[in-house]
Amino acid sequence: MAIGPGAKAELAPAGAKRKRRWAGAQAFVFLAPFFAVYVLFTIWPMLKGVQISFFKWTLIRKMEYVGLGNFSKLMQDAEFWASVWHSTIFVLLTTPLMLALSLGLALIANRHSRLRKLYRISFFMPSVMSVAVASFLGLFIFQPYTGLLNSLLHLVRLLPAEQEIFWLSEVSLSWIAITALTLWWTVGFNFVLYLSALQEMPEELYEAARLDGATNGQIFRRITLPLLAPITRMIMMLQIIASFKVFLQIYIMTGGGPLDKTRPVIQYIWQTGFRQNDLGYASAMSYVLFFILLALSALQYGFNRRKEAD
Amino acid sequence: MKWIYRIVSLLVAAVFLLPILWMLTVSVKEEGMPIVTVLDWVKPPYSLAVYGEVLQATKLPLWVWNSFFIAVCVTALTIVIAAMAGFALSKIKFRMKAAVFFAVLAGLLIPGEAILIPLYQVAKDMGLLNTYLGLILPSLASPIAIIVLKSFFDGVPNDLLESVQIDGGGNWRIFFSIMLPLTRPAVASMAILTFIGSWNNFLWPFMSVTDDNLFTLPMGIPTLMSQYTVDYVKPMVINTISSLPIFLLFLVFEKQIIKGVSLSGIKG
Repeated sequence: MAIGPGAKAELAPAGAKRKRRWAGAQAFVFLAPFFAVYVLFTIWPMLKGVQISFFKWTLIRKMEYVGLGNFSKLMQDAEFWASVWHSTIFVLLTTPLMLALSLGLALIANRHSRLRKLYRISFFMPSVMSVAVASFLGLFIFQPYTGLLNSLLHLVRLLPAEQEIFWLSEVSLSWIAITALTLWWTVGFNFVLYLSALQEMPEELYEAARLDGATNGQIFRRITLPLLAPITRMIMMLQIIASFKVFLQIYIMTGGGPLDKTRPVIQYIWQTGFRQNDLGYASAMSYVLFFILLALSALQYGFNRRKEAD
Repeated sequence: MKWIYRIVSLLVAAVFLLPILWMLTVSVKEEGMPIVTVLDWVKPPYSLAVYGEVLQATKLPLWVWNSFFIAVCVTALTIVIAAMAGFALSKIKFRMKAAVFFAVLAGLLIPGEAILIPLYQVAKDMGLLNTYLGLILPSLASPIAIIVLKSFFDGVPNDLLESVQIDGGGNWRIFFSIMLPLTRPAVASMAILTFIGSWNNFLWPFMSVTDDNLFTLPMGIPTLMSQYTVDYVKPMVINTISSLPIFLLFLVFEKQIIKGVSLSGIKG
């Protein structure tokens, strides 16, 4: 039965039972489309993945049962753990910078100025680009000799004319380039979240603080930042989980190189499955990825619970 | 002080726009011109010849269309499916509701990336590789959309629904004539996020499609880029053609899109 004590409450008890069944049928109809796609394309592949990971399973499906073989191979696969570490590096690099940058941009766009719209548009515009377009722009920007960044550095004489920076062929410089491109391309969403949080700040608090003679710096540290704490926590956790799944921008900009030193875990899984034709091993690695992401989500949940209890 | 602040702000905005402006200017340059300094990129001669060439000789326009078509289908279906489920969980009383809701919540913990390999095998068994259906169907189950929409539906007062029931309206009428219109901002916000997500979806099409008539932009663009030799003109034309439709959409609906994104954070 729908929606609380209804208008037709005068019906006989037998009718009430029929109605409850009717409501159940209706609920089923409303839920069925979701559960159909959910079971077929999420739950079933998850279970199938368990099966596949116990086999030597190739794209043309020649199978051989190997038990936990794939998993024990994985424990000793230095390249796999290196790729997990590379994804972790990416998370560690982008998350704090993302928080600082998105808040900084929100503060800029939150000022009462005729240019507000311009700021909103310029900070969010890169976010609507396709990941491939953004990644290729990154590739071209950081190219030696012909790239935008080196040319600009030459123009303002920060870089001597005969010298070039090889952004994408040295590991640490590659990380800088990848991080910068990612921040530029994805900061828009978090910027908007911060901006809307800033716009909901209670104005009276600021006025009271100013009356008490607080400086702008004090107001920011004592009022703005604490009030932003919940949204900061949310952005941080979403960012950590999203960053761990990085793939295409690294794949396009460095190909995972130099010498696989920037290859993220998703790229390694994909190469194992589709380049080396080993779906079984790739599935086993997917499960490790799954548990890492699960642990991060659980961490987020526990963290939020404790903070909310405070 | 105020001026310094303003100049710094403008500089930051310029840095954000610079790559896009660079892309646009290089795309209208004539091919094969020597680039010695940055300024050569903005200098004439200009030409749109490469645009014609790319539009005619490559499948890029088809891929733009594919990306749009798939994103529109995925968005519309995801939202309808999620809204229906969210409505049932919010406003219909039935047995085992808690268990059903828990099953939806559990879906939040399953990252799409972690099940792609077995999903490939499942899609292969179902004959969905290299089909539009295969590009659309696996993206439709969105637990997060259900949870966000349900929380907005919860806010619709039950009195309103009862008044429809007194008039003899059933759940479908309540759903279409009350719930969806009243929660339009939330629905729009989920739709925008779903659209952008689909527009950028790369891994699944990359694995499941080999027929280049079915490529979406993120897959197609890299195949074209490997062919450039002379300079950046052709790549930038490719980038620009791929981006212009979505840029225009963004500039027209800027307010709604920004609002939609910020709404998603409130309940997220």
